[in-house]
Amino acid sequence: MRATPLVAADASAREPVVIASSLTKRFGELVAVDGLTFSLRPGTVTGFLGPNGAGKTTTLRLLLSLAEPTAGEVLVFGRRYRELNDPARRVGAVLESNDFHPGRSGRDHLRVLALAAEIPSSRVEEVLALVELDAAAERRVKTYSLGMRQRLGLAAALLGDPELLVLDEPANGLDPAGVHWLRGFLRRFAEQGRTVLVSSHILAEVAQTVDEVVILNRGRRVASGRLDELTGHGKTLEDTYLELTARERS
Amino acid sequence: MTAQLRAELLKQRSTRTNLGLLSAMLGFVLLAVLLHGFALPAEHLQTSSEQLTMVVGWGEKLGVLFAGLLGAMSITSEIRHGTIRPTFLVTPQRPRVVAAKVAAGMLFGAGFGLIATAFAVGAGSAALATRGIENQLDASAYSLLLAGAAAAAALWAAIGVGLGAVVRDQVPALIGICAWLLLIEGLLLGDLLGAVGDVSRFAPGAAAAAISGQEPDKLLAPAVALVLLALYAATAAVAGSVATARRDVS
Repeated sequence: MRATPLVAADASAREPVVIASSLTKRFGELVAVDGLTFSLRPGTVTGFLGPNGAGKTTTLRLLLSLAEPTAGEVLVFGRRYRELNDPARRVGAVLESNDFHPGRSGRDHLRVLALAAEIPSSRVEEVLALVELDAAAERRVKTYSLGMRQRLGLAAALLGDPELLVLDEPANGLDPAGVHWLRGFLRRFAEQGRTVLVSSHILAEVAQTVDEVVILNRGRRVASGRLDELTGHGKTLEDTYLELTARERS
Repeated sequence: MTAQLRAELLKQRSTRTNLGLLSAMLGFVLLAVLLHGFALPAEHLQTSSEQLTMVVGWGEKLGVLFAGLLGAMSITSEIRHGTIRPTFLVTPQRPRVVAAKVAAGMLFGAGFGLIATAFAVGAGSAALATRGIENQLDASAYSLLLAGAAAAAALWAAIGVGLGAVVRDQVPALIGICAWLLLIEGLLLGDLLGAVGDVSRFAPGAAAAAISGQEPDKLLAPAVALVLLALYAATAAVAGSVATARRDVS
């Protein structure tokens, strides 16, 4: 997709892409994210796991400057997201599967974002072809299936050909072929030296895609590291996950 | 900033929302102008001021109302459909987004004001001619009406954006604008005119009507009203910008 590969040997490219330090977010009494610290290495796919309400989506919103942390910070490429120059060319993100105006066509949705990010309209056609929506591009989004909406969201995230992709539950609504396609896409993306953070609660799916995991429970990190380290000794990711989240629960 | 403005203009053009608003506005203009033009006794439609205020002025009033709705919808619709998330991911400097919405809203709002008034002039002149009432409005009255309605509607679109950004919920924002212009200013403050002095002529709906030269004996002079309404619009836009910058996006 990218004409010239990223220069992975560059010293700066080995710096963590995302660094969260003591990240905390409170909503009144509720502590959604509680002193969370983690970092993402370039060229990896990291699975962000945890039960519903663990604080995964809140963390992603903090990372993307959609919400402000109560304490701590999360830096993307060394800065807060909202201080990035040209964020669409550094970071692509999909938070919800349905962030579209139902009456706007898929192509116009992408053209609006491309205009705001000063990305040429030829790139809109490229990403439409990449997610195989070119035939449906003129149709209004209200006619799209959930899987098509997921792909349109992904197309929007890819408009700026970003170095970091942040996806919240991207496999929801995808059929088996779609899940297979997404898995291959994320692997290729990381092999180019780029970075993926993908939240999910579908563990079987994650186990086949990610290099590293960060497991969250009640806003806290309960485990993180390489997938093979967390799943050794005959334990599957599911065993580890259930053990860690159950221990916290009791 | 121009990139954001281009994006906002495409957002306005790429759904059928504005076409729907425009059709509804023209329907109401026709209804109001014909009802007043045909139903009012001829002796109340003799002077230039009466013809302006009672008949063709409905173009201005409804143009202003629908421009306000258009402005409010430009932001509340994004919040409602979730497109505010991709919008802020591409442009995390949220005041830029609000400023672009104000500018785009003012352009379309001015168009709404102009179209509504031109339509009212046509329908009103036809109604008066049908009844054999001599049309007292000259070129200068028409010029002031058209230019004033366009300016007032543009400023009301800015008020709508600011209000929508503060309120965020689409339905309360739209009901609020309708209630203010039609009920509170139209009936309540109108009844108080004279009773508590001339307070109501400083209200934003009355100021909008004054710009186009309506009720010169009761309302402010057009130039004063223009400055006053611009102050209302600037206040609303700044409030909307500050509220949008400070609050988390869910």
